[in-house]
Amino acid sequence: MKYGFFPGCTLESAAEELMISTKKVAEALGIELIELEGWTCCGASHIQDVDDFLGVAVNARNIALGEKLDVPILTVCNTCTLMLRTAKDRLDHDEELKDKVNEGLHRANLEYAGTSDVTHLLWALIKDYGLENLRKKVKRPLTGLKVANFYGCHIVRPPKIMGFENHMNPQSMEMVAEVLGAESVEFDQRLACCGFHAVFPAEKEVMGMTRMNCLSPKAAGADCLVTPCPLCQMQLDMYQPDAQKGTQENITMPILHLPQLIGLALGFELEELAINRHIIDAIPILKKTLAIA
Amino acid sequence: MRKITFTIKRFDGKKEWLQRYDLPYENGKTLLWALTKIREEQDPTLNFTSACRHAICGSCAIRVNGNSFLTCKTALDEILETFHTDDLTCEPLGNFDVVRDLVIDWKPKLEKMKVVKPWMIPKDTGTPMTGFKQTEQEFQKIASPTDCILCGICASECTQLSVNQEGYLEPFILNRAYRFAVDSRDAAREEHIKPVLDNDLWKCVHCMQCVSQCPKEINLAAEIAYLRQETMKMGETQNLGARHAYAFHDDVKNKGRLNEMTLPMKTEGVVKTAIKRVPFALRMISKGKINPLHMPKEIEGIQGVRKIYEYAKGVDQQ
Repeated sequence: MKYGFFPGCTLESAAEELMISTKKVAEALGIELIELEGWTCCGASHIQDVDDFLGVAVNARNIALGEKLDVPILTVCNTCTLMLRTAKDRLDHDEELKDKVNEGLHRANLEYAGTSDVTHLLWALIKDYGLENLRKKVKRPLTGLKVANFYGCHIVRPPKIMGFENHMNPQSMEMVAEVLGAESVEFDQRLACCGFHAVFPAEKEVMGMTRMNCLSPKAAGADCLVTPCPLCQMQLDMYQPDAQKGTQENITMPILHLPQLIGLALGFELEELAINRHIIDAIPILKKTLAIA
Repeated sequence: MRKITFTIKRFDGKKEWLQRYDLPYENGKTLLWALTKIREEQDPTLNFTSACRHAICGSCAIRVNGNSFLTCKTALDEILETFHTDDLTCEPLGNFDVVRDLVIDWKPKLEKMKVVKPWMIPKDTGTPMTGFKQTEQEFQKIASPTDCILCGICASECTQLSVNQEGYLEPFILNRAYRFAVDSRDAAREEHIKPVLDNDLWKCVHCMQCVSQCPKEINLAAEIAYLRQETMKMGETQNLGARHAYAFHDDVKNKGRLNEMTLPMKTEGVVKTAIKRVPFALRMISKGKINPLHMPKEIEGIQGVRKIYEYAKGVDQQ
């Protein structure tokens, strides 16, 4: 299995632990990730607010980099997936737009053809790799670990663009957790928004959302929350101390990236997955529950 | 016999309670069929609204298992399959005042809608006698937003509205502002758009709930992006939302990738960042999550990216 890897900006900075853990997991599973040379930021659901055409054009360029390698594109970020897939959907359904965009891409010696699919690691594990194959690779079943699967908006919505599973009741995260031996808890905020994209203009509201998104899995007895999106992870982890200031109630909830959870089950050590890089320390509860020395 | 259990949130004007009704399963029915059957055969006091039964009047929307649906358009089988259950919980739409049971109060919302002047302010090129001529392209711009049936589903699902009912506008109100702002016959687009900006336009969290649930498939997210673009064309570029969006736009052009170190400064300004973000920055540095000395390098092919930017400037986006 071979993919053109589109890491997205956060993996080079604040969410570098996701780069580290994704590479470890891919290597252990025998999935080849070829980082697209010269990929740009996807626009992070903001660029179209300045210039809609440019939002499509820069992502057409990103996809064209994958097409040059003749591989499908894989991301580990919900919003990157949405931005790339939105551009692809519009280009594949609008010849006039495609021609206009290609006129621009030709100036960069590139062409968008529509031959590379855009997927997310979560989907690729289920659809391409196969959960039974993943099960065979589990060396340290996550028995006893109660996880809250926080999907994040852009891996399910809008369904017209994402379409991997029913957006009102997705099951992919629960399916992966089950294979890894973890127990998924039911909680109200499972499909809620983390608010990351408006954390500057709507800080007060987003901090309130972060409180709810931490308290809900806590009330359901989760040991940690796991998400397939680095932006959800950053919002819920990095800003958790700020969100805590708004309430007397203890909202503490460790927040893991999906590849870190998978990596734990594949037998990697906590430091190998850079779990020590989180603001909210996940190490004590993981050591205790999984009996890691 | 297979039974479907409906747990319905009741409200008599004073108190709330949950009431359970069992219905024998029948295939090929709608949610509205189920509510009607309960009212006709089990409980004549159950209140809900509906009229056209063809997804045109917009009066029958409710929440089922946490998601909003037009009951007349939604197949019961589809709901049972989606949620893998025969237990359904019915509630009135969220982010609305409730009159009785599943009946919501539209009056305050329609009052609120007036702020965007949801009517045409006509240009003087047309008269009541002669009307206006529109090209097909001009008509197509208003075709989709005009499909809105005011069912309230977008408002019920809106994340920002759920935490900011006072400040934010319901997505269907944003749609009305958009619908008149893009109408070629309208003379006063700013009068529709400015009130949207003044009511927390930049607080939309991009959760995509409105787009995903709209029974008319109106692309509300694209409309919100358009409204934001227009406010910037009107010169409103110094608010937090616009500055944040420009930071991404400019970073892609400059280096190809986002500079997370400078993002807060570009959004909030140097002074505010220095005052507000120091504890945050120290917390990040202590865990190695940011390196203040790290500056992203230019990506391979940045010249090509800049050529695309240059080209995009001249592209007609109408």
